[in-house]
Amino acid sequence: MIENYILMHKGGQEEYRDSVFVNYSSALTIALLYLPSEEEFSVADEAAVSALVQGSSKMRFTDLSESIYPILTNLKNYMLIRIDDKYINIERHGRVYAYIVQNGELKMLPNGMTSLEDGDRVICCTGEFMRSLNDIAILSDAVISDSAEEWMDNLVCRISDRNRLSEGNLTAVTMIVRSGD
Amino acid sequence: MGIDFKDITALQSAVYAAFILFFLTTIVFIWFTVVYIKKKGFGNPDDSNLYIDCAYFQEVGKRPSQQDSVFISPLGDYKKYGITALVADGMGGMEFGGDISEKVADFVEQMCPLSFFATEQNADELRKLSNTLYDEYNLSGGSTLAMVHISENYMNYYSVGDSDIILVRDGVPTILNPRQNYMTLLIKNLCRNNKQTQQAYSNPKSRALIDFMGNKNPRVIYTKKPIRIFDGDKIIVSSDGLTDAVPLRLFHHYIKDNATATAVELKRAVASRKRPKQDNYTAIIFTVKRSLL
Repeated sequence: MIENYILMHKGGQEEYRDSVFVNYSSALTIALLYLPSEEEFSVADEAAVSALVQGSSKMRFTDLSESIYPILTNLKNYMLIRIDDKYINIERHGRVYAYIVQNGELKMLPNGMTSLEDGDRVICCTGEFMRSLNDIAILSDAVISDSAEEWMDNLVCRISDRNRLSEGNLTAVTMIVRSGD
Repeated sequence: MGIDFKDITALQSAVYAAFILFFLTTIVFIWFTVVYIKKKGFGNPDDSNLYIDCAYFQEVGKRPSQQDSVFISPLGDYKKYGITALVADGMGGMEFGGDISEKVADFVEQMCPLSFFATEQNADELRKLSNTLYDEYNLSGGSTLAMVHISENYMNYYSVGDSDIILVRDGVPTILNPRQNYMTLLIKNLCRNNKQTQQAYSNPKSRALIDFMGNKNPRVIYTKKPIRIFDGDKIIVSSDGLTDAVPLRLFHHYIKDNATATAVELKRAVASRKRPKQDNYTAIIFTVKRSLL
């Protein structure tokens, strides 16, 4: 099981423009789109991505990636994630980031598959979310938190200390692998 | 056949010259090796042993008495048990703040040597201590707790309240532990409602602690897994009297290569602020260095 918490906060903007599409099945599939103000994403494309992610339970990750690519081809910053309690598969484009806490360090996840262990902590987020944080802050909040929600709350406090959540949209997903559950 | 003393003298000179040459070559080799290791590290950095340089300071500020307490485990035990360091900041304006912080420090001293991997049990012991203090003082005082346990290349920490544990890496200081005050609750609630958080900072009660030693069943924050530390890291455990006077963004002016110099600079920086309501200020500073042996 993957315990997760998703933050979608509009920050100081009029509206929340980033998008997160989630499919909760045996594996968790997420499409995370970071949309700075200069980028447009139509309602029709949004619906198409949503439908693809919702119907992706039995699709291979590469097939999902290939199907979704033509819709997102004009976007610069997006990420696809599929995670279960053994592996995480990532495809990352532009200013979106994925990190894993391993051996007391925070490491950036490469595109492709990475094996996971019970208790591993993973965060996927936009460049805007990362702007007020550093690796040590993310790592420290990860190792003291009992839950994905608490980890996110601690990170949000750090961002708030910097900018009162008054700047861009904030989008991130914190995840904890719970193999025993 | 007689002995030619001229040959012996020449031979002796040659031996001396060879010896001096060998000696100088060895010195130069050692010097270059030390310089190289200091710059590049030795072998695989994962296997490197680190050693700790430690210093601390404690000043009263404008308060009538010192209510901060400190404990540092013996450096001589570092190889065997690691090093444990604690700052407990007695809550100002409360009758027994100083007493409670002293008791927290005494208790941690009795707990040592701490098991590095039993962080949950250690945190539970601290929570039980808080319950004992609650029964004894019935909220007529309280104290924060900020404690690190460093062993080999890793660090665990424990925290209750709003004292600071700061890790300075590559010159950038980061406070590791979240503050357990009312402001964090306000920020959380505002964020849940998709709002900005300015009002959390202007709330007059925002700095009130929601957890402290002396409270019933406080949440003891602790690392479930240790944090890796590296050559060149600096770790500062301090009461908020330090970070209130010297903002984190200015820390880089005062961080030096060794712990004593950093302690001197930070202490001087607080004193030079001449704040009329300066709180007591205490800090323990560690610098982490790679051992050549």
